[in-house]
Amino acid sequence: MKSIANRSSVIYALVIAFIAGVGFLLFSFYKYGNEWATDRTNRHIYSNRTVTNAGTIFDRNGIVLAKSENGKRYFSDDKQVRKAVLHIVGDTSGFISTGTHTLFDDLLIGYTRINGIYSLTKKGTGNDIVLNIDAGACKAAYNAFGDYNGAVAVYNYKTGELLCSVSRISYDPHNVPDNLRTDEKYEGVFIDRVVSGLYTPGSIMKIITAASAIENIPDIYEQKFVCSGEYKTGDGKVVCNGVHGEIDFQKAMNESCNCAFANISIQLGAEKILETAQKFGFNKKINAKDVPLAKSTFYPDSNSKTELAWAGIGQSTTLVNPCHFLTIIGCIANEGHGFAPDRIKTTGSAVIKRMPQEIISIEPEIANKLNALLRSNVQDKYGDNKFQGLVMCGKTGTAEIDGAKSHSWFAGYSMNSEFPLAAICIAENAGWGSGAALNICNTVLHYFLNNGIS
Amino acid sequence: MKNKVQPAFRQLTVMFLMTVFQLICMADVLNLKKGDEIIIIYTFLAFIALEWLYMMFGTIIAKNDYFELETIGFFLSGIGLTVCASFSKEFAEKQAVSIVLGLITYIFILFVSKDAKIAGALRYPAAVFSLIILTANLMLAKATNGALNWIKIGSFSIQPSEIVKITFIFVGAVSLDKLLSSASLTKYIIFSITCIGCLFVMKDFGTALIFFFTFILIAFMRSGDIRTIILICTVALMGAALIIYFKPYVAKRFSAFRHVWEMSDTLGYQQTRVMIYSASGGLFGLGIGNGRLRNIFAASTDLVFGLICEELGLIVDIAVLLSFVFIAVFAVRNAKNSCSTFHAIASVASAGLLLFQLSLNVFGVTDLLPLTGVTMPFVSRGGSSMICSWGLIAFIKAAGQPFVPPKPDISMSKKRTSKKVIK
Repeated sequence: MKSIANRSSVIYALVIAFIAGVGFLLFSFYKYGNEWATDRTNRHIYSNRTVTNAGTIFDRNGIVLAKSENGKRYFSDDKQVRKAVLHIVGDTSGFISTGTHTLFDDLLIGYTRINGIYSLTKKGTGNDIVLNIDAGACKAAYNAFGDYNGAVAVYNYKTGELLCSVSRISYDPHNVPDNLRTDEKYEGVFIDRVVSGLYTPGSIMKIITAASAIENIPDIYEQKFVCSGEYKTGDGKVVCNGVHGEIDFQKAMNESCNCAFANISIQLGAEKILETAQKFGFNKKINAKDVPLAKSTFYPDSNSKTELAWAGIGQSTTLVNPCHFLTIIGCIANEGHGFAPDRIKTTGSAVIKRMPQEIISIEPEIANKLNALLRSNVQDKYGDNKFQGLVMCGKTGTAEIDGAKSHSWFAGYSMNSEFPLAAICIAENAGWGSGAALNICNTVLHYFLNNGIS
Repeated sequence: MKNKVQPAFRQLTVMFLMTVFQLICMADVLNLKKGDEIIIIYTFLAFIALEWLYMMFGTIIAKNDYFELETIGFFLSGIGLTVCASFSKEFAEKQAVSIVLGLITYIFILFVSKDAKIAGALRYPAAVFSLIILTANLMLAKATNGALNWIKIGSFSIQPSEIVKITFIFVGAVSLDKLLSSASLTKYIIFSITCIGCLFVMKDFGTALIFFFTFILIAFMRSGDIRTIILICTVALMGAALIIYFKPYVAKRFSAFRHVWEMSDTLGYQQTRVMIYSASGGLFGLGIGNGRLRNIFAASTDLVFGLICEELGLIVDIAVLLSFVFIAVFAVRNAKNSCSTFHAIASVASAGLLLFQLSLNVFGVTDLLPLTGVTMPFVSRGGSSMICSWGLIAFIKAAGQPFVPPKPDISMSKKRTSKKVIK
C-alpha cells in the first residue's frame, strides 16, 4: 500500500512535462506571435489574402503612399509615384516580400504581444509608418531610367536614412496589368532589385580589389603597370577596355584598366582578395535594419590565374546586391563606418529615434585612400562639371553579360557636407560605356540639391 | 503527513469571485445581442445556483468546506458554458444539462467508490457494460468526421468511449486492488486490449492513445516495475510500426505534424488557424464573440483552447491549464493519504488521464504534438466529455475522503478530527 501511494509521484513527472510544454508554447507565442497573427489567412486583417485595414504609410515629407479607407487600401494619387515606390511600399497581397506592407505588417496592423490585434479590431486601423523615402526623388529616379530596367538607391551615409530606392520594372498597383504574371517583360516584377537583386558588378568591384591592394601591397602606389590592351596571366588572358600604356595605380583606377587590375589581383592572390571582400560583407547574410539583403557572393578561383584576374575586375562568378554595395560606398564616404540604409523614419507612436546601425566597418586609413582614388576618378576622368555642387567621388562599371548588352553601373557619393549622400545605380542592358547609371544617379542627387533634404 | 497543517480554503471568497467572473462572462455573451437573452440569463443563473446549492449542501453533509476539486470543475465548466452560450442558446442549454449530468455522475461515482466492497461488486458489471457499449458503438455508429465514435439515439448522441474512460479506470483500479493475482491481471489486460482495439477499429487514435497511456499508468502503479512498462511500450511501438507499414493512411493523417504551415489549407488547416487567431487575441483577448476561429470546424470542441485564447485571452487560457495542474497535484496528495490501493490507483490514473488528454488537445492544436482530435476535459462542448471529466475527478475526490469505518453512524473519522484539532 505504502509503495503504491509513493508511486503516485509519477504524476509529477507528467506535470513537469506538461509545464515544459506550456512553457515552450508561451515561448513560441512570444517569438512567432507576430508572424502567426499576420498570416495571410487571418481574416481579421486580410480579405482574400490582401490587406484592407492597416495604418497609413507616409513618405518623409508627409505624402501618403498607402492608406486604408472604407475597407479598401489606396496608394499615392500620383501614378508615377505609385510605380516608383511600389517595391518600397509593397503590394497588398504580399507578393513583394521586401515591401513595407509585408515586412512591417505587424506594425501596420498594430500587433503587440500584450494586446494581439485588439486595436485593429476596435479602431479599424493599426500604426502609421513614416518612411525616410522621398517620393519626389523616387519619381524623378524612376523617370530617369527611360526605357531601361534596373535599380537605384540613394542614402545619407552619415545617418543611414534611405532617401530613394527604386526598382524597375514596376507596375501601377491601382491598375494591375492583366498580363503581369504571363508577359515576359514583367518577369521578376515582384523582386525589389535594390534589396533582392544580384548582379555581376563589373568594374565597380575594382574598389574592393583596390582596397585589398592598399592593405596588402606596400608599394602599390610606386608600382607601374603596362597595358597593351590585354594581359597574359599565364594560363589565359584578360582583355582591357583600351590601350593605356604605362600607368600608375591611381591612373589605373581612373581608366578602370583591366590589365593593371588583373596584375594586382594575381599579385594579391585569391586568399587576400577574398579576405578583403569578406570584410566588406561579401559571402555574408546581411540585413539593412529590418530588410534582409540578397547575399553578395565572391569566390575567386585560386587554381586559375585567369579566373582570379577576371574576379578581381568584377567578372567571373562574382555577384553583388545593389543595396549592399551602396553600404560599401557609404562606408568609404563615412571614413570606414558603413551604416545600414534604413527606410523607416518613425513607426506608430514610437518616439524613440531610430539609431544608425553600422553593418560594414573598415580601417579609416583605407577608407581615406579609397576616397582619394574615387575622388580622382571624378576629377580626372568623369569631370566635376557633371556633378556641380556635389564634390562627387565614384566609380562606373560595365558588367558584361553573356549574350546580352552589358549592364551599366555607377557607385558614388557626394563629399559636400550639406549633402552627405551615397548613390548606387544599375541600368540593365544599357550597354558598354553608356554612362546611363551615372546619369540616373546624377539626376537623383541633383533632385536633392535642388529640393533639399527635408 | 498527518502533522501537516492544511491552510483553510476560503470557500466563500472563492465562490464569490468565481460567481463574479461567471456573471461578467454572461454579460459579455449577452452583449452579443443574439436575441436569446432570456434563455442565456436563465442558463447562467441556473448554473451559478447549482454551484451554490452544491457547495451549501456539500458543506452540510461533509461538515467541511474542502471543495477545491469541485471549484475547479465549476470554474472550467463555466468557461465551457460561456463558449457554448456565445455560439447559440441551444449549445448553452445542452451544455448546462451536461454539467448537471456531470455533477450527478460525480456524486454517483463518489458514492460507489467510497466503499471498496461496493466497488468490488461492481467491477464485473462495469467491465461488461464497457465492452457492450463499445461493441454496440462499433456496430451501430455511422461514420462521423472520419471517426466512428458516436451513437445517435434520437436527437442525442453519446460518445461511448468517454463513458468507458470512467469504467476503464474503475475496473483497473478495483480488480488490481482485489486480487493481485496473475489471473486478475490477465483479465484486465484482455479487457484493456479489447477496449483499445475497439477504438482502433473506430479510427479514434487519440482516445486509443489515452487508454493506452492510462493502462500503462495503472500497470506501473500496480507493479512499480519500470522494465515491464518499457517492455509494454516497446511492444506497442512495434505494433504501431506494423500498423503504419500495413495501413499507410494512418501515418498520412499525421503527416502535417511540424509542417502545418506548409499544409495550411489541408492537413494543417485547424492547427494554423488556432495559432493565427490565438496570437491575434493577445493576453486579454478580443472579447467573447469577436473572434474568427469560431467559424472554423470544431472550434467549440477540439479547438476550444484557441477560441479561449483569441476571445478571452492567453491569461484565461493559462488559468485553465493551471487548473488541471492543480487537479493533478491534488490527486497525488490524495493518493498518498488514501486508505486503499483502489483509491490511490484510481486517483492517479484519473489525474494522468486528464492531464494526458489535455496535453494531446492543447499541444495537438498548436502543433507541438500530432493532432489527434481529442477534447479538452470540462471545457469542450459535449455531454459525454463533460460526464467523463466529472466522473474522473470523483475518483480523485474519493481518494481524499476520510477512511469510513465499518459502522456508518460514527461518521466523524479520526483523520479529519485530528486535522481540525490541529487547525
